[in-house]
Amino acid sequence: MTPYRLSSGGLIDRSSPLSFSFDGQRLNGFVGDSLASALLANGRLLVGRSFKYHRPRGILTAGAAEPNALMTIGRDGRTEPNTRATMQELYQGLEAKSQNCWPSLDFDIGSVNGLLSPFLSAGFYYKTFMWPAGLWERFYEPVIRRAAGLGKATYQADPDGYEKIWAHCDLLVVGAGATGLAAALAAGRAGAKVILADEHSRAGGGLLSETAAVSGNSASDFLAQTLAELASLPNVTIMPRTTVFGWYDGNVFGAVERVQKHVEIPATHLPVERMWRIAAKQALLATGAEERPLVFGGNDIPGVMLAGAMRSYLNRYGVAPGRRVAIVTNNDSAYALAGDLEKAGIVPVAIIDGRADARIEGYTGKARMIRGGYVSDAHGGKALSSISIWQNGHTEKLDVDALAMSGGFSPIIHLACHRGGKPQWSDEKSAFMAPDGLNGLALAGACAGIDGLAACLEDGAAKGLALAAVLGFDGHAPTLPEISGDIVNAAPAAFKIIPGVRGKAFVDYQNDVHRKDLGLAVREGYGHVELAKRYTTSGMATDQGKLSNVNAIAILAEARGISPAQVGTTTFRPFYTPVSFGALTGVSHGKHFQPVRKSPLHDWAKKNGATFVETGLWYRSAWFQRSGETGWRESVDREVKNARINAGLCDVSMLGKIEITGKDAAEFLNRVYCNAFLKLPVGKARYGLMLREDGMIYDDGTTSRLEENRYFMTTTTAYAAGVMNHLEFCAQALWPDLDVRLASVTDQWAQMAIVGPKARTILERIVDADISNEAFPFLGAAEVSLFGGQVHGRLFRISFSGELAYELAVPASYGEAVADAFMEAGSAHGIQPYGVEALSVLRIEKGHVTHNEINGTVVPSDLGFGKMVSASKADFIGKRMLAREGLHSSERLQLVGVVPIDPATSFRSGSHILAKGAEATLENDQGYVTSSCYSPHVGSAIGLALVRRGPERHGEEVMIWNGLRGEFTPGRLVSPVFFDPTNEKLHI
Amino acid sequence: MSEFRVTLSPALGGRAAVSRKGISVEAQPEGTLLHLLVDPTMGDAVRLAADLMAAGLELRPLTTGQWFAVGDTALAHADLAALSATLKPQADIVDQSHGRVRIIVKGKMAARVLSKGTAVDLDIAVFPVGHATTTLFGHISAHVTRIGEDAFELIVLRGFAESLWDELAQMSLEFS
Repeated sequence: MTPYRLSSGGLIDRSSPLSFSFDGQRLNGFVGDSLASALLANGRLLVGRSFKYHRPRGILTAGAAEPNALMTIGRDGRTEPNTRATMQELYQGLEAKSQNCWPSLDFDIGSVNGLLSPFLSAGFYYKTFMWPAGLWERFYEPVIRRAAGLGKATYQADPDGYEKIWAHCDLLVVGAGATGLAAALAAGRAGAKVILADEHSRAGGGLLSETAAVSGNSASDFLAQTLAELASLPNVTIMPRTTVFGWYDGNVFGAVERVQKHVEIPATHLPVERMWRIAAKQALLATGAEERPLVFGGNDIPGVMLAGAMRSYLNRYGVAPGRRVAIVTNNDSAYALAGDLEKAGIVPVAIIDGRADARIEGYTGKARMIRGGYVSDAHGGKALSSISIWQNGHTEKLDVDALAMSGGFSPIIHLACHRGGKPQWSDEKSAFMAPDGLNGLALAGACAGIDGLAACLEDGAAKGLALAAVLGFDGHAPTLPEISGDIVNAAPAAFKIIPGVRGKAFVDYQNDVHRKDLGLAVREGYGHVELAKRYTTSGMATDQGKLSNVNAIAILAEARGISPAQVGTTTFRPFYTPVSFGALTGVSHGKHFQPVRKSPLHDWAKKNGATFVETGLWYRSAWFQRSGETGWRESVDREVKNARINAGLCDVSMLGKIEITGKDAAEFLNRVYCNAFLKLPVGKARYGLMLREDGMIYDDGTTSRLEENRYFMTTTTAYAAGVMNHLEFCAQALWPDLDVRLASVTDQWAQMAIVGPKARTILERIVDADISNEAFPFLGAAEVSLFGGQVHGRLFRISFSGELAYELAVPASYGEAVADAFMEAGSAHGIQPYGVEALSVLRIEKGHVTHNEINGTVVPSDLGFGKMVSASKADFIGKRMLAREGLHSSERLQLVGVVPIDPATSFRSGSHILAKGAEATLENDQGYVTSSCYSPHVGSAIGLALVRRGPERHGEEVMIWNGLRGEFTPGRLVSPVFFDPTNEKLHI
Repeated sequence: MSEFRVTLSPALGGRAAVSRKGISVEAQPEGTLLHLLVDPTMGDAVRLAADLMAAGLELRPLTTGQWFAVGDTALAHADLAALSATLKPQADIVDQSHGRVRIIVKGKMAARVLSKGTAVDLDIAVFPVGHATTTLFGHISAHVTRIGEDAFELIVLRGFAESLWDELAQMSLEFS
């Protein structure tokens, strides 16, 4: 026989039928069903194939630990593999498919592995596929992976949305069973801000399956009443469908809310999953306990189920497990199931209790009792048909179609161990318990080893109240309800190796690890718990040993002749259950993958035909293609030539800009820069070099003195934030005695470089003031008005190109209009916009450095700035370390220009420099090319390089060697200034 | 080119307010936003407040010795210079009116929507009206001030304004 739906009972809504499919077969269920309960109600025992041996598997649990009933739900982009049927709510149209079987679940070719099982024990792969070594990646691994595995992810894009959110509370209660509800209520009534999270679709935990009476009413009535009161408290938030998966520093918990995993077509305005970061002042785990399987032969045959799960299907979902049901247990808890089965008209054919002296208070059923006995083997293929009962050396066979087993309980303490705490074995509880001294986290109820509904309610209420009191919320101890009909474990179950076992006795269902595998691991020297885990794979995969770990440890302990405490456990780490990449990603994909930082001149550049390049988060215009131009180089060459002949306009808004004020601003700058700044006159700009403490150059840029105590510093784009942090550190930590104040104004100004021989002519039409060479010479800096006083900006006569050039900064929202005005004013003078590529060519031609050269290894003298370093200043950052002997060595790599001997040839940045005729070896390496480009001015490729004694070797022939590409280009070292070496153009 | 008429291109120009159930997101006009850098030995907010209120500006605490002063209308260049002179030597003004963009998020669900971006606890008991801090909304740094029981003002760098706007639109989608 098979399981079936009872005609009445359960918390399902029988007036709301649902249809769904499993492996293409249409089936029916009800609102309130899980996929697992609906499958059972439809008589489906066989729901999956095992990982290695492809054994038929049925539903084992009713919760998060399910190792067998893993299915692929949905289709196309919504395909979700490895979904636990026990956790999946049923919805109209749900499509479920079995996994790891071919051609079908019923007839699976892979099950031949079961016949080969004598050869497939733990360690088989390691021992067998050792040679030839080359075959492992090409043959063995692909074949093994094909044969063994779980579900397959889809290659299609996920059409649904995910999001992340933060929450803050006084008390987070994890688990909304009796304990958690009592705790939340006690703390909530006291006024604490409480979040109550539960991984199941409905709050209630064990109360949803409980038949004991609470204050004379049903458990579900009590639950409804409690939830109603909690819902009425504005300071309490109940979060069902929310799995708290990790405990992190700062008492922050990670949780995933399954917002729309129970609907056929998710609403587009809602995420399907929402990841919560919950910052809790205190947290209480009320996560309950996991029932342990018993390790007997065939304990994985469909029809064998955990007793608590069977009770849940019976009472919550109205599903009977079969007609001939047996129960095997080593503790009292399973007798509650026996009583419930009898009430449903199914008298168990036997209760096999491993304890010879078992006497259960509260159970008065009619089932045959077999005390001091064990189920040694279950029999059947795709469905359970009988069991062998071992008692005092005798074996009896009994026909059954369902078997409930209970091997005791393991407190669910995973979260309590996520921050490094190790579980502690308790002989008294026969289980691993949470470590002591968890700061900000307490445990209550079954996860603290407490048994029975009354005790859990009492413990939950007491701990909820106590934690609220710690936070300053005083409440009153609640009046606890009276419980009747509850069966409480008189003593925890002790683990015993079951005698008389003949078949495979599975310890880890999901990884197909059976008892003999663990024995083999011990015999072969892998008895340490960490080694045994790797050798056998017990405790791995998606369930992370929730059901298997304690049994595995007990078997290892037995085999090694030590106690479970001495064996210890492996480490619990987040995540408690698998978390989708979607939830972890949230909205950070596609358009929202990372923020875009736009220049105020972005739209101006766009309408002028810019091609953009991502520079950090900035979108910079790289070049401006014109019709007829076929490649980027053509555009860049034109822009460069035009800037040197006529005029070019370039967006330099991305440069870091920092305003510095205060009485001691000059002194501050004098200490920050290695060159002198104290006497910079008002109205002047100066190039500055900023060193690190170790003497290496950190950043460069110009700083202008706008008023006596007001400076405007520019930094490189890449180091804008870093320099700001550096300056704040200097001001706050190094020299708090200086009156200096800093403000980042990068975004305030749209800044444009107007470059070229006609720059002044064009600029004169924009700026109101006299900007003749006499009135506004090179390195002038001033606040200016534009267009007859309509706009006020800042003008700097600085040049990064070697041309007559200015940079004009205007308030950002005026940027586009001013740039438009430049294009209009300059149209008669041949103005063209140019991008960062042309900017780079112009600066390489002029021998100006950027962070290509300022790469953390250079001191000022390496770049020809030795004379800039002040010898007279008492101190500046980097002064002491710059004096180190090695930084003055004549053998240092120093800046030099490089050109190919044959102008038709080229080379790449990153190429290395070899002396002419030297062999291409690391030992002969003399430096490397830092920047390179095609120079329209020179008519060939040019480069800047850091080369040993570079400045002394101008004119020397060398070999430019690209070892990665095998390219050799004969070249010559030259001056790094290819354009206007006497700087005449700067001063015209 | 005094005949040339300069026009403004606000960072969020053309963005209609996002209005959903219990939440709205609205870009403020690019009026005035001044960064006040106060001499720690001379100034405090109280002494500054009167002069700023006279100029139609409100104060937002930024960090030790620093405030933002915000207003919906732009101060003329001369008025800004005058205000700057008035506040000296107590405080230096750095004009950030174009460098920062103000976005108002308001409605019953405002705190919930913002909590999708920031780790700051926005519960009114912890973060009362007038309270402000700088935080990250997703990957974007912004300054947030509670300006009403259910209203927040975000101040963000101009370059990130569009991205933050898109994030807020996404974050509030739940209430459409």
